[in-house]
Amino acid sequence: MPRPPRLTLPTAMVLLAVSRHYRYGFDISDATGLPSGTVYPVLRRLEDAGLLRSRWEAAQTARAEQRPPRRYYTVTTSGAQAVRDAVERYPTLQRAFDGPNPSPEPRTA
Amino acid sequence: MTQVVVPHTGPPGTDSDPLGRGAARPPGTWVVAACARLVPADRRAEWHAEWMGELTYAWQVRRPPGAVTIAARAPLLLRALGALSDALWFRRHYGNVSMLSQDLRYALRTLIRWPGFTAVVVLTLALGIGANAAIFSVVNAVLLRPLPYTDPDRLVYLFGSPTDGDSAKVGTSSSYPDYVDFRTRARSFSQLAALSVRQTTVTGKSFEPAIVSGGVVTANLFPMLGVTPAIGRGFGPDEDKPGAPVVVIVSHDFWRQRLSANPNAIGSSLAINGRPATVIGVMPPRFGFPGNSAVWYPAAESNDPRTRGQHSYVILGRLASGTTLGTANREVAGIARQLETEYPGLNAKRGARVQGMAEATVGDVRPSLLVLLGSVVLVLLIVCVNVANLFLARAAARAREVAVRTALGAGRSRLARQFLTESVVVTAIGSVLGVGVAYWGSKLLVSKAPRSIPRASEIGIDANVLLFLLALSAVTAVIFGVLPALQMSRGMPIASLREGGRGMRGGLARRGLRQALVVAEVALAVVLVVGASLLVKSFWKMQRVDPGFVPDRMLAVQIQLPQSRYAGFADADRVRAFYADLYSRISARPEVQSVAVAMQHPLSPGWTSSFTIAGREPPPAGQEPESSIRPVTAGYFRAVGAKLLRGREIQESDGVAAPGVVVINEAFARLHFPNEDPIGKQIDRGSWWKGMPAHYEIIGVVADERFQGLRAPADPATYFSLPQFTFNDNWLLVRTRGDAKAFIPTLRQTVWAMDRDLPLENVRTMDEILGDAVADTRFNTALLSLFALVALLLAAIGIYGLLAYTVAQRTSEIGIRMALGAQRSSVLRLIVGNGLMLALIGVAIGAAGALLATRALERLVFGVSTTDPGVFAFVALALTAVAVTAAAVPALRASRVDPIVALRSE
Repeated sequence: MPRPPRLTLPTAMVLLAVSRHYRYGFDISDATGLPSGTVYPVLRRLEDAGLLRSRWEAAQTARAEQRPPRRYYTVTTSGAQAVRDAVERYPTLQRAFDGPNPSPEPRTA
Repeated sequence: MTQVVVPHTGPPGTDSDPLGRGAARPPGTWVVAACARLVPADRRAEWHAEWMGELTYAWQVRRPPGAVTIAARAPLLLRALGALSDALWFRRHYGNVSMLSQDLRYALRTLIRWPGFTAVVVLTLALGIGANAAIFSVVNAVLLRPLPYTDPDRLVYLFGSPTDGDSAKVGTSSSYPDYVDFRTRARSFSQLAALSVRQTTVTGKSFEPAIVSGGVVTANLFPMLGVTPAIGRGFGPDEDKPGAPVVVIVSHDFWRQRLSANPNAIGSSLAINGRPATVIGVMPPRFGFPGNSAVWYPAAESNDPRTRGQHSYVILGRLASGTTLGTANREVAGIARQLETEYPGLNAKRGARVQGMAEATVGDVRPSLLVLLGSVVLVLLIVCVNVANLFLARAAARAREVAVRTALGAGRSRLARQFLTESVVVTAIGSVLGVGVAYWGSKLLVSKAPRSIPRASEIGIDANVLLFLLALSAVTAVIFGVLPALQMSRGMPIASLREGGRGMRGGLARRGLRQALVVAEVALAVVLVVGASLLVKSFWKMQRVDPGFVPDRMLAVQIQLPQSRYAGFADADRVRAFYADLYSRISARPEVQSVAVAMQHPLSPGWTSSFTIAGREPPPAGQEPESSIRPVTAGYFRAVGAKLLRGREIQESDGVAAPGVVVINEAFARLHFPNEDPIGKQIDRGSWWKGMPAHYEIIGVVADERFQGLRAPADPATYFSLPQFTFNDNWLLVRTRGDAKAFIPTLRQTVWAMDRDLPLENVRTMDEILGDAVADTRFNTALLSLFALVALLLAAIGIYGLLAYTVAQRTSEIGIRMALGAQRSSVLRLIVGNGLMLALIGVAIGAAGALLATRALERLVFGVSTTDPGVFAFVALALTAVAVTAAAVPALRASRVDPIVALRSE
C-alpha cells in the first residue's frame, strides 16, 4: 500500500468533507470551495492510500434521471483515524463543516 | 431496492452514456474528452465516465431554463478544466510508471540477451567518460583554469635574461638592489614584488623541528596577488624593514598539522631559522605560492649595494592598466641596459624580460599536458564513433524483430520509445561506472602525480567536464540508438520480413561513412599507440641509465645546522666538529655498512661556482669556467658506490689543516684535460674566506654521477674534502646492512641525541629519490599508455562492430554464395579481408599523422627518435593484428551461416 498522503489543508478538507457525507467530486468541491483540479488528485491519493473507497451509484437511479452514473467516495475504517487526525490538526475545519445545516445524504437508491 | 454497484475497476457500461440527446451535452465535455487522451489507456474509460457523470449531473441541476448563455456555461467549463490536473495526475502515477517499467523490463531483458553488446557499450562509455574526465580534470586544474589570483592575466614575472644567451651565467632571478631599481624606474607595472623560496628550519614548542619551504617575500606580494590570510593579517610595510621583529604567516596545512588548527595560534611564537618570530596570519587552504611554501616571512632587505651580485629573488609584478607585455618587455630591457652600464662588473650581460605568470608557471609541463589533452580529444572521438557504430550494428541485427513488431502493430513512436529506453539504460549504466572511473582515476592521478606538476593541490574532478562528457555520450547513444528504429519502422514491414533483414538498405554512402569512421578510429589509435610506445621506450632506456651510484639500502637526510646556533661562517670549527661527530656516531652503529656526509646527495644538482686552472692563462673576468661544488667526507665514493677511475679518494687525512685536494668527475676531465692526465694539476678557487685553501690539487677522477637527472649527462663536478669546504647544510648518506627504512628511528635518535632541535622529518631512501627523478617520465608514460590501450581496445571494438553489422546485413548474400559452392574459408577471407583493408588504410593514415603528432613529444622522449622506425613498425603490426582478431569473430560467424536458413528467409 502506498504511503499515506501528507495531511495538508486541502487533504484534510477533502477528507472531512467526505466524512460529512459530501461524497461526489463536485459536491466536495462545492463544500470545500477547492477547485476540482485540486479535489480530484486529493481524492486519488486518499483512495490509493486506502483512506477512501469509491463506488458507482446504482445504474437504475442514473437511468431514471436520464444521465450517466456518478462515482461516490466513502471513508474506510483506516480513513476514520485520518479524519480524527485531520480534526485534531485543523480544529477550525470541524466547525466549518458541522455548522447548523445538516449535510445531505448520498443519493443511493 | 437492491443497489447495483458497478465494480470500481471497470467503467459503468454502455448504458451509462445516454449522450445521444444533444441537448443534455454539458459544457466542458470536449475538455474532458481532450484530457482523457492523457490518461493511460487502461484507465481512460473509467476516468472519462467519472468526469462525465459529474458534469452531466451538475448540468441537469444547474442548467437555467431557456437559452444557454456563456455566463451559464462558464462555471462548469471552469470546473471541467480541473480534469486536466486530474488527468496529469493519472499520467504521472499510472501511465509513465507502468509503461516505463514495461519498457525497462523489456530493455533489461534485451540487454541481457545481448551480453556482448551490453558489456562492450558499457565498457566503452565507462572508460571514455571516466578516463577523459579524470585526465581532463588534471589538465584543466594545471593548465586551463586561471590562476587563483585577482586579475591573473596581468600578473607577470620580471626575469633576468642573458644578453649573450649563456643561461649558466645569468639566471631568471635578480638581486634585491636590482629589484629596487626596477621598482623605482619602471612605469609598466602598478606593483612589483620580490620573492624567493628558501629551505627554512621551523621550530616550536608543540611540534617536531621541520625543514619546510619558506616564502621570503616583500610585504606587497599578497596584496598584489589579491590574496589575504584566512585568519589574522598580512605583512605591514614596517615589518619588511631590516631589524624589524620577525613575523610569520603560515600555510593552512602547517596550521592544521603543526599548530593543531588552533585559532589562538595568531600571536604565538615560533623560531624561523633559529630566530624568534610571531605568527600573524594563516593563509587560506591550498595556497602555497611560491613553490608550496609552508611559511612566509618578510624579506626585510636593506638594499645593501654589496648584495647586487646575489641573485636570490624572483620579481613578480602586476602590469599597469593599458600596458601590454610588449611595452613592459621593452621598458625592462631598457632599464637592464642602464644597470649594465651603471654596474659593469656585476650586471654584465644581464638583461631582463617579462613573461606572463600563468605561462611561466606551467611552461615546463605544458607540452606533456597538451599531449594528454590531445589524447583526451582523440579518445573521446573514438568513443563516440564506437558507440554509434555499435548501436547501428545491433540495430541491423534486430531488423527482423523490428519488422515483426511493426507488423504486429507497434507504432513508430512506440518502437522509438523502446529503443530509447534501451539506449538510456545502457548509457546510464555506463555513465555510473564512468563517474566511478573518473573519481578513482583522478584520485590515482593526483596520488601518482610527480611533484613537478604545478598546482596539483587544485586538482579535483571538474563537474562541468563530467556533465559535458555524460551529455555527449548520452546524446550519441540516444541518437544512434533511436535512429535505426525510426528508419526501420518506416516502410512496409512485410517487405522487411520477406527480405530477411535487408529491408534496411543502408545505402552505399552510409556504409561508406561507417567504414570511414572505422578507418579514422584506427588512424587515431595508431597516433596514440605510437606516442605511448615512444614514451615506453624512453622510460625503458631511462631505467637503464647508470646513475653513477648504487641506491640500494641507502638513506639520505638533509641536516641543516641553524646559523643562529652554529654560525657556520664565523665558527666553521663547530660545524666541522658536529659533522665529524655525526659521522662517527652513525658509523659506529652495527646496522650500518657505510656512511658519508656530503653537501649534495648523488642526484642533487646543487650549485656551481667558478674556478681557474693553475698554470694556465686565466680567461677574461666573468668568463671563468663553472663546476658543480660537491664537498664530501672521506670514503664518500665507496659509500655511495661511485667508481673511482684514477687516483685516490678523499681521506680522513685531508683535513682542515692539510693541503687542499679535490676529486673531479669524468665530465670535468674530458672538458678541461682532454689529452692530459689531470692528477697532480691544481685548480684555483681564489680565496673566499679564511680557513679555506685557495688551491686544490686534483687527486682522483671519478665516474659521472647523474646529478643533473637521468635525462641529462653530468656537468663538470668537483668533489672537495668536506672539512676543507665547510657549510652548515649537508646530507647524511647511510647505507645499511639490512632494511634501510628500519634504521630510520635509530638514525633520528642518534642525531637528536646530539641536537634535539634538528629537523629530521624527511628521511628518504635513495631509491625513492631516484624514483622521483624518473617520476615525470613514468607519469607521462603511464598515462599515455593507458590512453593508447583504451584507444586500441576501442578501435578493435569499432572494427568488430562494423564487421558484425556487415555480416548481419549480408547473411543472405553469404548464404547464396555458400549455396553456390563457396568454401567456409573463402567466406572467412572475405570478411577478414574487409577488416584488414580498413585496418591497413587506417594504419597508413595514422602513421602519417603520428609522424606529425609525435613532434609534440620531442621534449618528453629520451634516447629515442620521435620517428623511431622500430616503434612505427611495431605499432603497425600490432594494430593490424588487433584488427584481424577483431574481424575474426564476425567472420567466423559468417562462415557458420547455414545456407538453408539464410535462404529460407528469401
